[in-house]
Amino acid sequence: MLRTLLAAALAALAAPALGQRLAADVDCKPTKHDLVYDCRIALTEAASRKPVAGADVSVGADMPSMPMAHNVRPVKAKPAKEPGLYTARLELEMYGEWALKLNVRSPVRDVIVKKIDFRERP
Amino acid sequence: MLVDLLQNTLDGLMLGSAYALLALGFTLIFGVLRRANLAYGPAIMLGAYAATWVHLQFHPGVLVLAAVTIAGATLAGAYVERLCFAPHGRRGAGDAGAIASMVGSFALWMQLEEAATLWLPKHLYGFPPLYDGPPLGLGPLTLRVEYLAMLVCATLVCFGLHRLLNRTRFGLAVRAVVDQADAARLAGINVPRVFMLVFALASALGGLAGYLIVAAHEQVTPMLGMWSTLKGMIAMMLGGLGSLPGAVVGGLALGLIESHSQWLFGPQYRDLIAFLILFALLAVRPSGLWAMLRRSPAPAP
Amino acid sequence: MDEYALGVLTNVGLFSFLALSAYLLLVAGEMSFGQQAFFGVGAYAAGIGTAMWGWPLPVAALAAMALGAAAAWLVGLPTLRLRGLYFAMATLAAAEMFRILFELFHYQRTIDGELVGPDGTQGFRGIRWVLERGIEQETFLAAVWALVLLVLGAFALVERTRLGATLRMVGEDPELAAVLGVNVARVKLGVAAAAGALAALGGALYAHHNTYVEPRNFDIMLGVHSLAYALIGGLGTALGPLLGVALDIGLLESTRVFQGYRMIVFGGLVALLLIVRPRGLLDELTVNRVAAALRRRRTA
Repeated sequence: MLRTLLAAALAALAAPALGQRLAADVDCKPTKHDLVYDCRIALTEAASRKPVAGADVSVGADMPSMPMAHNVRPVKAKPAKEPGLYTARLELEMYGEWALKLNVRSPVRDVIVKKIDFRERP
Repeated sequence: MLVDLLQNTLDGLMLGSAYALLALGFTLIFGVLRRANLAYGPAIMLGAYAATWVHLQFHPGVLVLAAVTIAGATLAGAYVERLCFAPHGRRGAGDAGAIASMVGSFALWMQLEEAATLWLPKHLYGFPPLYDGPPLGLGPLTLRVEYLAMLVCATLVCFGLHRLLNRTRFGLAVRAVVDQADAARLAGINVPRVFMLVFALASALGGLAGYLIVAAHEQVTPMLGMWSTLKGMIAMMLGGLGSLPGAVVGGLALGLIESHSQWLFGPQYRDLIAFLILFALLAVRPSGLWAMLRRSPAPAP
Repeated sequence: MDEYALGVLTNVGLFSFLALSAYLLLVAGEMSFGQQAFFGVGAYAAGIGTAMWGWPLPVAALAAMALGAAAAWLVGLPTLRLRGLYFAMATLAAAEMFRILFELFHYQRTIDGELVGPDGTQGFRGIRWVLERGIEQETFLAAVWALVLLVLGAFALVERTRLGATLRMVGEDPELAAVLGVNVARVKLGVAAAAGALAALGGALYAHHNTYVEPRNFDIMLGVHSLAYALIGGLGTALGPLLGVALDIGLLESTRVFQGYRMIVFGGLVALLLIVRPRGLLDELTVNRVAAALRRRRTA
């Protein structure tokens, strides 16, 4: 525990390691169940726009108002057929604007936030 | 230019009567029980949601919807009163009881809001208007019938409450309790029953306000709960805590402030200015606008 | 550790700063609906510090705390005479003013070919200092809780000193305190500033955990919740607010059973709880009893 703290302190003061930036396009489509959505995520490198394959991505969601309340349990995104494409099924608590948080753990550590307005079917 | 000013003033008064109606209910509870009810708005929302559900199922007329809203709000209010205010006993039991009631009402606020959104989960529901016709014209000014109805209702309610409090036995009991709860108890007045009835009356007033508001906006959203509580509280504080005429003055003032600020500076600044004025008023003259108008000296809050 | 559990534990820690901030003011006798404003000030300040000016997080966090304290002092000064619901509404009005100002605040710079900075209602994205240093979620969690424990330790220390007694006295009976020579105004302002700094620290950490903040994050709901957590957990000890946070966000939020019904359960439980414990779970009476029992056992 002390060692992790020390490491964190040293890392904090050390020179910054340039994290490779990622970019994502997220498209969520409603399913036949209310408040359940199938989301397709296209993950690319921010600079080169090359698709990132085999990534460990999980998708969580939070409502901007009361940010720690309507927490949606993060789901691991499954890789789809094309490299760089992933799918995840989201179950939300209510309609409205949500901030989706894409937590990437490998190959590069990054967090991407996408705001999506989930409206009910008219 | 002058027409704009007049129209904004008219709009402000109309909007303000909605706020005044909300504030009247809130003030009744605070004035008599000396407690803030944070579940006030959500109880109204539940009434409005009940009316929406009835509308979706049966499409009844305006009077039925109004009655359902009022009944729903009163029932929800009774639930809140039984669970959060009655158990914490006598008014004047000190801060502890008041705070416990307030936190309890916060808890029920969350509960009622979630119950409502579980019942009707959509982000927005249409609501039938009070009057299905064009707005009235007063020369170059326009006046929407719903808002006129609100102004009329606010005035009627004000007079009604005045008569109730000053010309009936119940009103006498209420005034006795407000004055000195322990003395009233000794005089044989059933204080808990008075509290319960006042609470029911306040919730019913809230339901009436809620119905008129959703009919005027022609929509119901989950934001109605917090919005109603907030506007009611702000109007109450602007006018003077615990004063019924203050509630009306505060409501109208809030409406005027919002209407003119929005016209002059845009919607974002509208709320900023309203809060700024509230903050400044509390810092300088917490007794509120009504007391200022009557030129009373500022009492200690 | 499972990612979800990590997230919940981190959130409990972050929210605790806010609840402790409300608790501090409550002990000094004031009920604030507005601590979320300083949480927001801390978030934006620290975010600007690290993402736009290249400061390390500890420096940015300290600056955020200073700014939070200053903002709280600014709000505290005109409201010194107010008590009860008047003070609560004034803090609510002030907090909403801050939030609307965040909505109007645009300050962006191009860094590495990308626009970074607060963009009004669109929020402030790209607060990536923690990511860029490769700090793991577990490490961040440990850092957050280390700071929480530090704050708890500080509270415990102060409780035993004259300052702690003075604070509680100002809270319970300011007239008596004034008669005994306490400068009540100075104490209240000091407490307000300390509470502001505390909330700002939480906000700074929150911004870096989330990498994205927007004005809506700091609305009335957040403030009323943190006040409620302090009142539900009890004002007898600084562990009270933590208990309140842990019960709602920790316990109920994460148990699958209550999915979608969390507030109905929590709301009902709290209302019932307050009937038997109007001063919260760990109220002064309970804490004193526990302390006395421990003392008896020690001397037995």
